[in-house]
Amino acid sequence: MEHSIVHDDLNEVLRELPTLSVEATSPRRLKVRVRADTLPALLGLLKGRSGYLHLSAISCIDWPDTEEFELVYHLWSYEVKKLVSVHTLIPKKPGRFVSVYDIHTPAAFFERDIHEMFGVYFEGSPNLEPFILTEWYGPPPMLKSFSSRQYVEETFKWQEYSPEWLKELEAKGGGIVQ
Amino acid sequence: MSHPVIPIQKSITDRSPDMDIACRSVDAEEKSLLRRVIDRIADHCRARSLFILHYCTGCGAIELPPTITSRFDSERLGIQPMVTPRQADILLITGYLSVKTLKRVILTYEQMQGPKYVVGMGSCSINGGMYWHSYATVKRLQEYMPVDIYIAGCMPRPEAIQQGFLQLMAKIDRGEGTAWKDYYHNYDTYLGNQQALFGPDWHTPTDVLAEARHYGLLSDNSIGQHTDLLAKFASEYVTQPIPAAATRVVRRSAS
Repeated sequence: MEHSIVHDDLNEVLRELPTLSVEATSPRRLKVRVRADTLPALLGLLKGRSGYLHLSAISCIDWPDTEEFELVYHLWSYEVKKLVSVHTLIPKKPGRFVSVYDIHTPAAFFERDIHEMFGVYFEGSPNLEPFILTEWYGPPPMLKSFSSRQYVEETFKWQEYSPEWLKELEAKGGGIVQ
Repeated sequence: MSHPVIPIQKSITDRSPDMDIACRSVDAEEKSLLRRVIDRIADHCRARSLFILHYCTGCGAIELPPTITSRFDSERLGIQPMVTPRQADILLITGYLSVKTLKRVILTYEQMQGPKYVVGMGSCSINGGMYWHSYATVKRLQEYMPVDIYIAGCMPRPEAIQQGFLQLMAKIDRGEGTAWKDYYHNYDTYLGNQQALFGPDWHTPTDVLAEARHYGLLSDNSIGQHTDLLAKFASEYVTQPIPAAATRVVRRSAS
C-alpha cells in the first residue's frame, strides 16, 4: 500500500507570514526575502507544512557598503521538489543572530563555519569553537575588511628570482612589469 | 599578526678541507680512497632505486598517474611509488601547500629515513603560484624543509617531471643530493620558520636533535633560541638534554 504525504500548497504556506517577498527565479527555485526576526518561524513553518527537511547550506555575504551581513538558508523539500533560498539581512554590529539548530541540526556545522570565517555569533548554537583554520589569531579572514594580500606580505617572504636573461633585459631598461 | 621569517643560511660551502659536509673532522679511514670509492658506488646505485612517497598535496596529483603508469613509466628510471614514509626516498610536494597540510608534510618528512630528497613540484611550492595572495597557503617550501630540486610549471607535464627526476638522479649520482643533511645542520632556522606559522609550542614526536647527534650532523646552527623552546613545550619527546645556551657561546668563541 502506497503512502502519499499530503502537503499544503507552498504558496499558501508562504502567505501565512507577513513581511515576506517571494520571487520565483526559475520554475523550481524560490527566492524568499524575510525579516531577521521572522526567519526561524518561516523555517519551522516550511519544515512542518511543506516537508522542507533538508537544510543543505547556510551562506553568508559581507556587504561592505551597507554594514550588513546577508544570510542565505538553502532548503530542499523531497516532496515539493523546489529549492527555497531564504535571504535575510542582519546588522554587522553586533553581528549576532539566533541559531536554527533546534529546527535543522545540520545548522550547527554551517553556523560554526560562518562564525569562524565571518565572526557572526549564533545564539544557541551548540559549538562555535575554531574549526577549519590552523592556528589563526587574526580577524575572520572572509570579511571584506580583511586584506589577504597585506597579511601575506607580513607573514611570508617571496622567492628571489634574478636569472641572467632578466639581468640583461634590466640593463637595457626593461624588466618585469609590476 | 606578523612573524619575521628568518633567511636560510647556506654555511656549508665555506668549510675547511678537514671537515666533511657535516662540519665534523674527518678521520684518516674516512678519507681513504677505498671509502670514497665505496661511497661513489653507493650513490650510483642509490640514484637508480628511488621510491616516491605516495602522498600528494594540491592539484599536482593529477600529473602523477601518467608519470608512474604505462604512458611515461617512471619505473624505467627506477622510480616507483611507495606507501609508507619509512620506506620512501623522495617526498614530492605536488602543488599548493596549505598551512594545515604543511604540518602533516613536516611530520611525514621527519619520519622518512635519510638519505631523503624533497622535490617541489609546480609554481605553488616555489612562490605560492596562483595562490600567492592566499592567507592559507605557504609560499616558499625551502623555508620549512630543505628542497633538492624544484620543477616549475602550473602544472608541470609528465615530461617535465621525468626531466626533473633525471636531474635529481644525476645529482644523487654525483654525490650532491645532500640537502637532507641541511635540515640537521640548520634545524634551529627551519624550526623557527615552522614556529612562526604554528606558534612557539609547535613540535613533532621526532627528536630531530638526537637524530642529528646520531648521524654526527649536529652543528652550531642546529641549536638556538628556537630549539630551546622544545625543552619547554616538547619535553616528553626530547630524549637527550639540549645543551644550554651559555655553553654554546663559549664553544663558539673558542672556535
